[in-house]
Amino acid sequence: MIPRLFFVLFLGLSPALGQKPDKTIDLGQFPAETVDNVVIPVPSEIFTVLDKLGNPNWRAELGPEKSYPASPNRAQVALLLGTVIADGFVAVEAEDSERVKEIGRNVLTLAEAINVRKSVVARSNSIVEKADAREWNAVRREFDGALQDVNQAMLELNDAQLAQLVSLGGWLRGTEVLTSIVKDKFSRDRAELLYQPLLVDYFNRQLDQMSPRLRRQQLVGEIRKSLGRIGPLITKSPPGEISEETVAEINTLSTQMVELIRAKAG
Amino acid sequence: MNRLAAQFRWPAALLALLLAAPAALAFVDDALSFAYEAANPYAERGWIIREDAWGGDLGEGDKKAVTGQLFRGNSYMFFLATDVDGAALRVNIYDAEGNLAESKSWQRGRFAYAEIKPRSTGTYYAIVEILSSPAERTGWALVYGFQRK
Repeated sequence: MIPRLFFVLFLGLSPALGQKPDKTIDLGQFPAETVDNVVIPVPSEIFTVLDKLGNPNWRAELGPEKSYPASPNRAQVALLLGTVIADGFVAVEAEDSERVKEIGRNVLTLAEAINVRKSVVARSNSIVEKADAREWNAVRREFDGALQDVNQAMLELNDAQLAQLVSLGGWLRGTEVLTSIVKDKFSRDRAELLYQPLLVDYFNRQLDQMSPRLRRQQLVGEIRKSLGRIGPLITKSPPGEISEETVAEINTLSTQMVELIRAKAG
Repeated sequence: MNRLAAQFRWPAALLALLLAAPAALAFVDDALSFAYEAANPYAERGWIIREDAWGGDLGEGDKKAVTGQLFRGNSYMFFLATDVDGAALRVNIYDAEGNLAESKSWQRGRFAYAEIKPRSTGTYYAIVEILSSPAERTGWALVYGFQRK
């Protein structure tokens, strides 16, 4: 009792209490490096809103049912791994446990191709187990965890740029699915979900800063070019005013990029 | 490293930061554990807690802005924590124009919390602040979760 009472009294005296936050602040006072530590949203952050705004046909959005052979091109594998993990989130929305399990296994195969298999074995097993139990929120968290584990392993291998490509691949596939659903049944509320200037700017900067060796790769070059076209499309309209034409255009660009990533996988 | 620290793997954004500044590692390690410890019970109430997070270390009175993309239609919660006994900190959420945008926030010693239902989709800023601390540098970690409401 005494420690608890002390704790309450301590809180009462704490300067943390009684200080109301400013109603407005000057964001310009904060240094620019803050934007370098961007946490990329997982696709399910958007998919949950889409679910609320209608009843999307998630099965129609599932990616191709295939396994991917090992490729010597690590940049391509990293991008593909990102798209496959994003596919996992789609399969969870579709509540397709068989597909989720297949994707869990594909994640493992692709992780092996870039030497980070060990870091995702436990996640992959957990995805299969939780998909069988139809614990969908747990599966969502495991896919998120797989993404972070792969990124972590790559950073430890000094492959930060490949880790960025995994995130980019996931974002591109998520954007393809989002625009496909919005295009199918357009509404301003749905289209507003595309307003992501922070992320487009972040990925553009990451690609610009990649090593010349990576930037010279045809696939990375193509994606850089297409992403450069998506940026102005997203930022030209305020949120809530993104047009049907803009959605269609972004869908075309993101679909082309995802197809290119998959095509290079053979 | 305590039990929780061992349980949670390093989120990518945090690890990238720490690779750039390895000295911060010890500060943030337990802070992240405390943040997840506070946030995880919310998972049982339907919140999805992200595995990615922000972190760093700050001096007393210092503030830092971290940026995030939030989507209208979701609710978001942010848990800020430190491992420094006796430190007080807080987190508040602002929109891209610098207007306070959170629906709820509180501070309790080493923990702080903010919740937001974004009025529009776009960029938001979590302002992390060390109000007081007995340490010269105070490690902090910020985790977030989302829920459809």
